[in-house]
Formats: sequence, structure tokens, C-alpha cells
Amino acid sequence: MGEIGAMKSTVSAGVADNALLRISDLSLAYATPGGAFNEVVRGVDLTLRRGEVLGLVGESGCGKSTTALAAMGYRSPGVRVLGGQVWLGGTDLMSLPLAELRTIWGRKAAFVSQQANLALNPSLRIGQQIADPLRRHMGLRGAALLRRQIELLRRVEIPDPERAIRRYPFEFSGGQQQRIAIAVALSCEPELLILDEPTTGLDATTQAHISVLLGGLVREKGVSVIYVSHDLALLHSIADRIAVMYAGQIVEVGTARAVVTAALHPYTRALMLAAPSLERPGMVSGIPGRPPSSTVKDACAFADRCSQVRDACISADVPLTVSDGGHVVRCLQANERSAAASLLRPLSPAIAGEPVLAVRGLVCTHRNASAPTIRHIDLDLRRGETLGIVGESGSGKSTLLRAIAGLLPPTAGSIEFRGETLAATVSGRPRAQRGELQMVFQNPDSSLNPRHTVRAILSRPLRLFREGLGRSGETAEIERLLDAVQLPRLVLDRRPSELSGGQKQRIAIARAFAARPAVLLCDEITSALDVSVQASILELLGELAAQRGVATIFVSHDLAVVRMLASRTMVMRHGVVLESGPTAELFSAPRHDYTRTLLAAVHDLPRCEVPTQ
Amino acid sequence: MSVNYLQGSDAIAPGRVRTPGLWRTLAASGGGRIGLGLAAAMVAVIALGPSMAPYSPTQIGLGLPNDPPSSAFLFGTDELGRDILSRFLFGGRSVVLMPLAAVTLAMLVGGGLGVLGAYVQVRPGLEWLDRLISSLFDLALALPPLLLALVLIAGFGTSPLVMILAVAVIFAPRTGRILRGAAQAVVTSDYVAAAQARGESVLYILVRELLPNIAATVIAEFTLRMTWAVIFVAALSFLGLGAQPPSSDWGLMVAQARSFITVSPLGVAAPALGIAVLSVSLNLIADALARYLDPASGKPGVSL
Repeated sequence: MGEIGAMKSTVSAGVADNALLRISDLSLAYATPGGAFNEVVRGVDLTLRRGEVLGLVGESGCGKSTTALAAMGYRSPGVRVLGGQVWLGGTDLMSLPLAELRTIWGRKAAFVSQQANLALNPSLRIGQQIADPLRRHMGLRGAALLRRQIELLRRVEIPDPERAIRRYPFEFSGGQQQRIAIAVALSCEPELLILDEPTTGLDATTQAHISVLLGGLVREKGVSVIYVSHDLALLHSIADRIAVMYAGQIVEVGTARAVVTAALHPYTRALMLAAPSLERPGMVSGIPGRPPSSTVKDACAFADRCSQVRDACISADVPLTVSDGGHVVRCLQANERSAAASLLRPLSPAIAGEPVLAVRGLVCTHRNASAPTIRHIDLDLRRGETLGIVGESGSGKSTLLRAIAGLLPPTAGSIEFRGETLAATVSGRPRAQRGELQMVFQNPDSSLNPRHTVRAILSRPLRLFREGLGRSGETAEIERLLDAVQLPRLVLDRRPSELSGGQKQRIAIARAFAARPAVLLCDEITSALDVSVQASILELLGELAAQRGVATIFVSHDLAVVRMLASRTMVMRHGVVLESGPTAELFSAPRHDYTRTLLAAVHDLPRCEVPTQ
Repeated sequence: MSVNYLQGSDAIAPGRVRTPGLWRTLAASGGGRIGLGLAAAMVAVIALGPSMAPYSPTQIGLGLPNDPPSSAFLFGTDELGRDILSRFLFGGRSVVLMPLAAVTLAMLVGGGLGVLGAYVQVRPGLEWLDRLISSLFDLALALPPLLLALVLIAGFGTSPLVMILAVAVIFAPRTGRILRGAAQAVVTSDYVAAAQARGESVLYILVRELLPNIAATVIAEFTLRMTWAVIFVAALSFLGLGAQPPSSDWGLMVAQARSFITVSPLGVAAPALGIAVLSVSLNLIADALARYLDPASGKPGVSL
């Protein structure tokens, strides 16, 4: 523990004068149904300076949100403080009673959550929701209150604020709702602002808009921010310093530039290799395994996934060590970078040949909708090729996939498969065609029946599309499929709820390949997954499709993922194709303004960060 | 690819973690335990009662009319000198079996139509069927239940079959609505879309994909509907529309013995208590099932 103490004094020496918040040795645990405590945050030390933006990054379940909430003294129900303090100014928030915390929340420390639609009360006018903290903490009334409400809404760029204060949350878009939530949080000019993934789930351009707005507000008001995100690239562009969390511990802290360009911890480096990037096109590589669900004692928590693991890593707690510039890391091998060569692989080449799938003038109108969801879509898909479709929510990209899959009958146009016109709905298509067109859905929680075992899930397409396999043939084929998606046979009798998100998506992919498809339709298949899991799923999909010569349509809102996988790309907006062409060309020289806007909205990691030594 | 993706904590442990099942959850709450206990007692009375009854339930003049309890007649006798204990032990059967048959029928027909209606909302080309089914339900729900039963029984007589059909007709649209709502929450799941894309039949999707996912609702609805049916059937018998003399149906027993409640209180109390215990036990079980369904209390399958 001596070394941690030494680190603390070193870190605090430079910042003691202007530190707003100091978290010291904080440990938190969740109560489990059995009555035991599951430690989720372990010995966290963090200092937030005045006017600083501190990024807190990590994968789901690493304790970053729990830590961020604790930074304002909040503990979710069931959370118990095992030790440590949170000093805001001169008070320890962990020891304050609720009544006193409530005078701080909203006034000195404010919070913006990931889901604005849940943060705003759906049955209160937004004016009232902004007025509540102003009345309570600032004592504003009447004309002064109204002036402040309108000023705040104007500041977060809500159009027509005089009228907007009388509207309800549902009358605003997702991005506007999040901006209103930000206005509520900033209403009493807090010193500390906690942002918990405030732009996750929003479209890229909306995300960029909110990030820019937040950046401006933060500089203008001099507020100190803890910005929680899973997106290292976003934090690189927005934060002054970045803290990386893994299994409830801080594993690396440094300036945003230092963490991204000279990452010391193997986990931070692996995270960057897993993130698809526009700047360095090539296959990403996943991090094997998955993070532990609670903290790890007497060993490095990352040891079981680390390629540089040594005996010393698994025999004792690894202390934080400080290197030059206050860059802090919790790793024994921090200065011995992995000698592994770059894992980037070349992209799939563009393929010429006869189209296996041809869509002509496709129009789809949803029931009860006045305007068509997609209009006059043309596309060709050649054997073995990957076509990327990018667009924001509501662009009609998922509708297009569902129409091709026969789940949504088009109102006009035709779909040809190997030269034959496909029936509008699946029930009109012959069995062979149904087997050759397979779809993988966005969320495996929804696409795998929770009541079926993995065996039942995989055997059904075999029975339908691979007749004559027989009982033993079926078992052998299921085992081959599991091998192909790198899952052990143990999963056969499990239900989806017993598997992790990545494992579930592997099962969904195996189910699609069970039918021996010629065309695979992938609808945002990695958007529900963490970046390290996404990387291994993308790798897997790329390999399987290439091995079996399957043509893939890959729909995504993530341009970097499409850049990596697709040989050709189509950009959709409001149901029409704005631009399409070879991926490399389209990304390097976009012709349409909207494509440029999309590309500009992407936060990217700088080129120099790839650890290739 | 040489990387093993199943290292560390992503590895799948050979031992399985079982989530507590239906029975465990039921037995975990006090109400559920009491409900199960009472229900077991009632089932014993109904199943074994007739073989344990000391006398025939319908034989008149076994003792003096309205005799108080004695060693020969533990519950006393009714106004015709019949043994109340024997009548009680025989009379539970119709009170349980008729609602059971009626509710099963209502669930099969009404519930089946409801789930079908929910499903065809997402089946291209069949959307009209849901509107038709919903309209049928609305139409049936507009008729007052007791009046509907009266009309059916007046028209077709008072046989047990007519009773069962009448209760089933009344309950079918109500059950149908509940199950349609439950199914609506799952029909938009992508596993239903995936099954459609494979070209599965409507029946396969209803039975294999949807039903297992609304099973908990089905069970809870069945239990709750049973409590209402028990009371409804007893009420019909009490009104003289159900079981006919000399049957020992509990509802009919209450109706006939109520004039003599001051001289022979057990003649009313025994069957009334039987009906009460039966519906309370079913209600307690339904409550415990509802907690089992409540996601806030930790739904099964939420994982380790």
C-alpha cells in the first residue's frame, strides 16, 4: 500500500491548490440476493481539478457509472460503501446524510444520465422541470424564473424557447431531450457535472452536436466534469485527462493525449486495437475472454486476458505506479510493450461478377404511415461481397433488410435472387430460397428465444433446410457450427440467459450459417455489444463469410465498422440512397454533403496510437 | 484463428446455475405456502371425500330434520334429515370440476384466439384477423355476464354441460384479452421474426415460440380465473340456475339451508367455508404467481 500512498502524494502535489473533488480509496459493493456483498469498485483514487474534464472509460460492468455517481455522493439502492471518502470542497459526501446531500445535488453537483427520455418526467411540462431546481436552490420566482428558463433553453439551442417551456418531453427528439436534461443539470450553475454516456444511443450527427455544445458550455461556465463513456475516441477529443477502469479499479490515468498516444496498460492498448477506426482501416482484433463481474483480489484483474502476463501478475495486487508527466498505470509490465506485430489485416477486396441479389426500385410503406419508409432503392450484391449500408436511425436501412428477408412486403419494386424474382413475403418463397437468405438481428436477447436451448435453436434450421441429415448427422453438424463460432459443446443445453452477450450473438450467427446461406443480412449486429466483444464478432463474421463465399449486407450506423468490413458502401437517409460506391473511395472522397457531415461527426483515434513496437 | 475466445471468466463453467423455478418461488412466500396448503387440503376433500362420507348425500330422513351435531352426525342434519357432513364431502366435486372444465375451455378458445390475434399483427397479410378477433371480444364483453348465463341456461336447460359452456362463453373474451396483451409484448421479438423468416407455420410460432414465453401469464391467469369461476358457479347454483336438488353442490346447499341458518348453522357454514377456502387458496397462489412474474422481484432467467 506504500506505493499507492506515494502515488497519491505525487499526484496531489501538483493539484492540491485547484482540486475540486478528491476521491480517495473508495470501495463500493452491491448486495447480492443471497445477502453477500459483491465488490464492484475497489480502492479508487481520483482527483478532479477545477474546470477540468475527466474522462472515465471502460466496458460495461467495470464500475465506471457507479464510481461517477459516487463522486456526487449518490449510491444506488443496494450499494454499500466498504471504505473511502469523496471530498467535494471540504466535505466528505460519503458521510453526509441524505437531507444534506439533497442541498448539494442540483446545486453544487449535477448529473446527466444516458437516457434523457427516462430522466425527464413524461407528464410534466419541460418548463416546470427546469424551474424545479431554480425555485428550490436559487429561490427564483415569477419573471426572473421565466427569464432564466428561457435563457437556459436558448443556451442549449432548443428552438422557440418561449413556446417550448409549455411542451412535454415527448414533443422533442431524443437529441433535444438530452439537451433539455443538460439545461436542467446546468440550471443552478453547479461546480461539478457528472455525464454518464450522455450521447450513447443518439445518432452520430446528433452526438457530435451535443458534444460540441457540451464542450462550449463547460469552457464557458468553468464547470468541472466527469465524463463517463465507453468510447475512447470521443473522450480523446473532449477530455483533458482520461482514467481507464477495469474490474472496478483504475488501471491507467493520464492526459487524454498521453493515454491515447502512449497507452501504458495492456488493457488500454487492447481497447484501442478493438475499436474500428477510419484512420487505420483494417481488421480489428478482440480481447479474448470477458471482464470479471466483480473485483479481483491479490492479482492483476486483467491477468487472464493479458498476453504479457507473468507470475508476478497473479501473485499479488498490482499497485499504481507513476511515470513522467503524472501518467499513472497499474501494470508490472507497463514499460515492456508487447512485441506483437500489428494485428491489422487487409480488407476484403472488391469483387466483380454476377449479382446474386438485385433490388430494383424498392418502395416500402409501413402500415398507418403516410409516406414510404424507403423509396426506389436499387442495389446489387455479388457473390462473396460485403455491402455496407450506413445511415442514422429512421433512414430506412433496417426496413430495407426486412423487405429483402420477406418480413415486410414492399409496396413496389422487385427483389431478384439468382435471377428469379422473390415473392413479397417469406410464406410465398420456396424453402430453398428461405434457407439461402439468412438474417442476423441486432440484439441477440431478442432474436434468440429465451425458452429454447442452444441445441433447439441450432437444430431447427438444420431440420428445415438440411433435410436428410439424420439424427447423428444433425449432432455432428451442430458441433461443427459451434466450432466455427468458437463455442464449447457445453453451451448446447444452456438457454440464452446463461450466456454472455457476445456468446449469444455467436449462436445467432451459427443459426444463420446452419442454413448454408448465399446471402447474409446483418442488421446492426454489434451495436448492443462492448467494443472488445464487437471486435471478435466482426472478425468471426468476416472469416466465416469469406470461407463460405457468402455475400453479406452489413447495416450499421457505425461508419468505422462499415469502413472495415465492406468492399462497397451505400449511404442512406430518409429512405433514399444518397451515395454509393467502393468503400475506400466513398470514405476518402465523399461526394454528398450528408456523407461529409457523417464523416465529420466521427470521433477518431489519432493514427500514431497503434502500438506496433 | 488461433485465439481461444473462451479464456478467463468467459469460459462456460460445467456446473449449471439453476434459477429458482415456479414451485420454489411459490413456496418461498408465506402467502404462496398457505395457498398451496389450503389448496392441497381442498383437493384432498374433493378427491377423497366421497369415499370417506359416512352416509349417502341424498338419502332423506337419516336423522331428525335440523338435528344439531352429534356423534352419529358430526355436522348435524339438514331440513330433510340428510347428513350435512356427507353432503359437504360429496358437494365439492361439482364446485371444482365445473369451473375447471369451463376455465380450461375458455383459455383454449379465448386465450388461443387472443394469442393468435397478437401474432397476426406482425404477420404480413393477416393483420385484418386481429381486428376481427378484437371486435368479437369487444362484442362479447358488452354483454352483462350474469344476464348472458341466464339467457343461455333458460335456452338450453340446466345440465352441467350447459353450465360449463355458459361460464366458458363468459370468460373466453376476458381471458383472450389478457393473453393477447401478454403475447403482444413478445410478438415483436426478433425470434418471432427469425421464425417467420425460416417460413415456420402459424401453429409452430404460436406453440413453440410464443407460448413458452407467456407461460407464466397463462398460469397466473388460469388460477385467478378459477377463483372467479368457483364463485360464479356457486352463485349460479345459489340462484337455482346451476345444480338442481337433490344435488349436494355447495352453492345449492347454501341456498337451501339458508332458511334454517338459525337452527342448523353448519348447513350454511360448511359449504360456504368450503367455497371461501377454495377461492382464498387460489387467490393466494395467484398472488404468489404474480410476484413470480414481476420483473422487479427478479424474474427467473435473469441469470447469475
